[in-house]
Amino acid sequence: MVTVKINGKEITVEDNTLILDAARDAGYEIPTFCYQADLMGIGSCRMCLVEIEGQKKLQPSCVTPVLHGMSINTDSGTVQTARAGVLEFLLANHAMDCPVCDKGGECELQDMVHKHGPHKGRHAEPKFKFHDKDYVLSPVIIKNSNRCVQCMKCVRVCREVVGQNVLGALGRGDHQEPTSFFRAFMNCEMDGNCIEVCPVGCFMRLPYRYKSRPWDLKSSDTICPYCATGCRMVIEERAGTLMRAKAQLGVGLNSETLCARGRFGQDFVNNPERINQPLVRRYGKLEPVTWEEAISHIKENLTALDGDKIGGIASPRLTNEELYLFQKLMREVLGSPNIDSSSRFSPDAVEGFVAATGMGEGGVSVYDCMEADTVLIIGTHLSDENPVIDYIVRRISASRRMNVIIASPRAMKLDSSANIVLRHNVASENAVLTSLVIGLNEGKLADTLKGMHEAQLDANLKASGVSADLISTVVNRLAASSSIAIIAGTDFLRYPEGISGLGLLKDLLKSRGKKVTVMPVLDRANQRGAWEMGVHPGFGPGYSETRKGLGTEGMLDAAMKGELEALYVVGSDVASMYPGDDFARTALSKVGFLIVQDMFMTETARQAHVVLPGAAHAEKDGTYTNQEGRAQVIKKLLTAPGRAKQDINIIRAIGESFDRSFGPKHFALVLDEIRKEVPSYADVSLSFNNKRNTDNKLDNRGALVKAAAAPAVKVKSFNPASVETSGARFILTTGNHLFHSGRSSMKSETLLGLLKGAVVEISEEDAASLGLKSGEKVRVKGANFEAQMTLLTKKGTKSGVAFIAENFDDAPVNRYFRRGGGIPRVDIIKTI
Amino acid sequence: MEKVLLKNLGKPGSHTLANYVASGGYKAFSTALKMKPDNIIQMVKDSGLRGRGGAGFSTGLKWSFIPKDPTLQKYLCCNADEGEPGTFKDRGIIDHDPHLLIEGMAISCYAIGASKSYIYIRGEFVFGAERLQEAIDEAYANGYLGKNIQGSGFDLDMYVHRGFGAYICGEETALLESIEGYRAQPRKKPPFPALAGLYGKPTVINNVETLSCIPAIVEKGPEWFSKMGPVKSPGPKIYCVSGHVKKPGLYELPMGTTARDIIYNHCGGMLRDGKPLKAFIPGGVSAPLLMPADLDTPLDFDSLAAKGTMLGSGAVIVMDTSTCMVKTAYIINRFFSHESCGKCTPCRDGTPWLTRILKRIEHGEGRPGDLELLDGVCDNIFGRTFCPLGDGAVMALRGALKNFREEFQYHIDHKRCMVS
Amino acid sequence: MLSEQAKQEILASLKKYHDKRSAVMDAVRIAQKENGGHVVKRDMEEIAEILEMQPVEVNAAAAFYTMYRIDKPVGRHHIQVCRNISCSLMGAEHIIKHLERSLGIKTGETTTDHRITLSTVECLGSCGTAPMMQVNDEYYENLTEAKIDELLKKMA
Ligand SMILES: Cc1cc2nc3c(=O)[nH]c(=O)nc-3n(C[C@H](O)[C@H](O)[C@H](O)COP(=O)(O)O)c2cc1C
Ligand code: SF4
Ligand code: FES
Repeated sequence: MVTVKINGKEITVEDNTLILDAARDAGYEIPTFCYQADLMGIGSCRMCLVEIEGQKKLQPSCVTPVLHGMSINTDSGTVQTARAGVLEFLLANHAMDCPVCDKGGECELQDMVHKHGPHKGRHAEPKFKFHDKDYVLSPVIIKNSNRCVQCMKCVRVCREVVGQNVLGALGRGDHQEPTSFFRAFMNCEMDGNCIEVCPVGCFMRLPYRYKSRPWDLKSSDTICPYCATGCRMVIEERAGTLMRAKAQLGVGLNSETLCARGRFGQDFVNNPERINQPLVRRYGKLEPVTWEEAISHIKENLTALDGDKIGGIASPRLTNEELYLFQKLMREVLGSPNIDSSSRFSPDAVEGFVAATGMGEGGVSVYDCMEADTVLIIGTHLSDENPVIDYIVRRISASRRMNVIIASPRAMKLDSSANIVLRHNVASENAVLTSLVIGLNEGKLADTLKGMHEAQLDANLKASGVSADLISTVVNRLAASSSIAIIAGTDFLRYPEGISGLGLLKDLLKSRGKKVTVMPVLDRANQRGAWEMGVHPGFGPGYSETRKGLGTEGMLDAAMKGELEALYVVGSDVASMYPGDDFARTALSKVGFLIVQDMFMTETARQAHVVLPGAAHAEKDGTYTNQEGRAQVIKKLLTAPGRAKQDINIIRAIGESFDRSFGPKHFALVLDEIRKEVPSYADVSLSFNNKRNTDNKLDNRGALVKAAAAPAVKVKSFNPASVETSGARFILTTGNHLFHSGRSSMKSETLLGLLKGAVVEISEEDAASLGLKSGEKVRVKGANFEAQMTLLTKKGTKSGVAFIAENFDDAPVNRYFRRGGGIPRVDIIKTI
Repeated sequence: MEKVLLKNLGKPGSHTLANYVASGGYKAFSTALKMKPDNIIQMVKDSGLRGRGGAGFSTGLKWSFIPKDPTLQKYLCCNADEGEPGTFKDRGIIDHDPHLLIEGMAISCYAIGASKSYIYIRGEFVFGAERLQEAIDEAYANGYLGKNIQGSGFDLDMYVHRGFGAYICGEETALLESIEGYRAQPRKKPPFPALAGLYGKPTVINNVETLSCIPAIVEKGPEWFSKMGPVKSPGPKIYCVSGHVKKPGLYELPMGTTARDIIYNHCGGMLRDGKPLKAFIPGGVSAPLLMPADLDTPLDFDSLAAKGTMLGSGAVIVMDTSTCMVKTAYIINRFFSHESCGKCTPCRDGTPWLTRILKRIEHGEGRPGDLELLDGVCDNIFGRTFCPLGDGAVMALRGALKNFREEFQYHIDHKRCMVS
Repeated sequence: MLSEQAKQEILASLKKYHDKRSAVMDAVRIAQKENGGHVVKRDMEEIAEILEMQPVEVNAAAAFYTMYRIDKPVGRHHIQVCRNISCSLMGAEHIIKHLERSLGIKTGETTTDHRITLSTVECLGSCGTAPMMQVNDEYYENLTEAKIDELLKKMA
């Protein structure tokens, strides 16, 4: 610790604290352009110059650490003149076209000149201009270099955080222009983080262009509804239209970053196809009705049904309060144990995964994971599934240099930050993990491993397709680490065999006295919340013991047999996500009474007897629990269109039609009830995370849920996934595309602009051997489905692996799968 | 005076290894290889040698900052970027006596424990780069470079890295960025290159002339060196004289020779009779100019610093009374704004602004208040830039403004030049 | 497209360095030379591939230096006249004017027959022999109008 004086005030801070941070701690604001906590300091803009007693020159506070006994002045006359001087220089070539600049009103340059001067112009000379007209860099980025202040944050964020490196500074001196290769259209992640960090109107969002002035926008501070990273964002509207979403520097675990989905995909809310009135099927046709009619129709059809013959499926994008009420309605009012939150993953797999990752033990902060000596990422294509976690790993590993080990059949952007990459076969997570376990045992077999010996190691190595050398390198790293973080993704739910390996490795490492944290990586904003609220056939709220019921699969089975009399589906498109072509559709058609509550007329809704218009996240209040177990608040900005309602109110209305006391009546009261009923949520508060997280910066640990009392979940063992034996060349895997999340992002005009049609991705080498090139149209032919799509190639992906995202309407990947069948194989053929 | 640095200049075939060895070359290296590296560093410290690249930092001291850890890769980078206008001494050595530099570098590498070294030569010196490469190849072939040199167990590789047109690459950290393949913008210091330089490894950066002094120090001893010239900045110095003198060129003289001696004695006086001296720049364009009254100032680091200017690279630019100071200031400033790397705001946006104002005045479009504006812009640049380039630009301009303010005023008032 | 020989030269340059990207300056120089004095987008893409960099990094690294001519073709003879202080004191302006007049082009232009491009540059480190200029890789020093006329005659 060192003690320094800032503007006469004595403060004590940690060694190596930057003067800038020390001053900010002491309550003195220092203006900056090039400084950003997440990025490596460059000290170039000179806005932050301060006076240090005894030093002739002013010093840049953003790169100068405090030294014991320093006396610093952040606001002397000299400092003020220097600031005004720097600003005057920045204006020397600045375009000054503020009236037509989208940044007007929220421009850091404007604000700083207003605050720090100069308040008089001395420029009489012609300005240097980079170009005449703004130019487009991508479907979401438009650029005006004449406004650039050369802080290079765009280039730095692109390289250091996003890891794309598609921006660079061209030219020199005042001709230096941060832009793309030859100013050409960029092929990148389109996350717009360059726009976010730009202090001026140099990088701008194309979809928002000339749409609004910032002072005309109303905003709310909320959480992104796409993946389960739980990025904090501000969404803004004007006249009832959602205009944009942006991140806030230093707020939320994502700080200033968002991915393309988060930043540009919120406009699905505005989609004119939203359902805006309740519909009831009469004489085969869905017809508009009033809410009273709809609810009483539902009541009529559900009354007197045996609870065991009713099912309920709710979306993992609903709020905790909605999900809690949903299961309460199902269990307590309708008497049904048949509840699920996913049509993709089997309830058993979910239970095993919850147990193996230790979700019942409470939340795990991603920043805690980053403190580990070794971070093992497995079962997820992290760079595409949870891009912001990719950014966090990249940024922190660059300075901390911990071991980053990535195991994945597909190459990913984050590989470049990894020390070791295990390119294993599809669905062989278990073989990889078991090999590690055997390796770590060094021959001395623990009880659980009795009977495992070298032959088994060989078999596992063979199954995983990873070399013994690589496994032993990883084993050595793990053995040498005292803390290990495992980041485990949804492939464990797709191929649940890996769950036992995951549990085994975790236990073994723990038994060796190592600190082990496991963070699940999930792809739906409130998936963890859905489970913790008990929307699962195997456990109740807080992973409590409950009467077991049917999951989606069981319900569809029952329906097929004509044994499901009613099904209430909220926000889930079972028909288009469930594996197999017609099975789900046929099963749904046999449900006695199908209620579908959704924002859009999905495949499933088309088959419903009653359709109830629900609301988007932007139209709701409530909480989400992200994959870490961080409960965060979402805040209402807009009113749902037409007569659509917040889902919580619809669920309650149905409940009340049976029992007037069903409630509570308000989302905040529901949260109160959750706090009471679910002990791990006892501390969850509506207030803590909508304040700026000043104390613990990005990592608000108070928001992490606590351990559940006695979680009723068990690690199970599962059979290995089988692979179809069709002889086709590629094994098909799926997941989310970087630009999409489930099917809801397909309703975002902007995201469709980034990628509309289906793509299939294989390795560059495989493509070459087939004589195919990236960008070509191909036919992907499986045993029971084939479709045309665009081929993309990736360097380093395992040979024989093809990936089609689950998001595309034009090539629904679920159709390649067969219910109960093995992992599909496909051939890829050039379209002629 | 017996020449050390330019002794082979003008001799036919002076660049060949055979001739270099015949004139006693590489003896010092053999001697050095038998010494303890620390003793060589001590010798260089004792000699009082100060860097000839501009800053005049003690070379021995700089070397002593290199960590002694033998497992660490260390580098020596020779700064042959020679970009300061008026300077052409390093080129003289490279073109005519490349082995002198190679020998100096080899000894230096041995002293600091570097097994890899780079010569950063400016891109325009195509001939020099080729000549150096030939000399390096010869040195490898004859066992002066490579593995286990002369059985000493010392390995050394030497490479030529060619710049391609950027003055800032002469700044030592920008030079490192450039070798690493990035845009050559200066790095923040600390960490200093001695601890984290090229590829993050301990690195010494020295100028060509500095390194070329090393063989003589080893051979003739530090005392011989330290006795030459002023106590605090001893040794031989190459002065590069250009501009209005009869015999411009390179002059190796004892450090601290006066401008009068150089201009009127060695260079044969002013170029044109009837056009006496108006001003001279003592150390490259970053150095503020001096007036005829300063002719007797010894051209060494400390004497010039006392006069508010600097020895810099030792480039003496001589201007007679036909010279327009506004135009001179404009040309010099234009150079700096052209070469500003663009990293920091005051230099990037300040120097071009100065240039635009000066251009206006030069073109007869000056306005009342322009001189105050120039002063004001200079004040906003000086001391606030990231590296010394911006300061250099201001110092040069301030020097001209201070001594020739009326001439600038005349230009503004009469919209034309005072001298022509 | 880089020739096989150019690629070999680039690979040879790689050997000098600890890092592939360090060879970027040599690589672009080699490409420029092969291409007759300027470099194009395609070359940079190829270099990026060889050095495992992003194309924009090659672009950024090269665009920093004035001797790389990105997408700016030059004539067979590129005359670069120094206009910095020492040359200016010794009459660089006359030299430039004389060249402009003799060639019938302005500074920065190329003759219509693509024979000669005329540029001005900052100090070339030959101040003791001012005024001077560089034609392609060669220095021409202590220039006079007569010397220039002589030289221009020889430029095919
Ligand atoms: C803008 C700028 C340009 C420089 N140019 C050169 C140069 O061309 N040659 C050189 O040797 N030193 C140059 N220097 C000085 C170097 O930074 C460094 O001090 C020198 O190479 C150290 O070598 P020395 O100790 O042998 O002088 C320059 C410094 C600055 C700030
Ligand atoms: S003073 Fe600043 S802009 Fe100028 S050369 Fe140095 S770092 Fe670059
Ligand atoms: S914020 Fe410190 S120099 Fe830019």
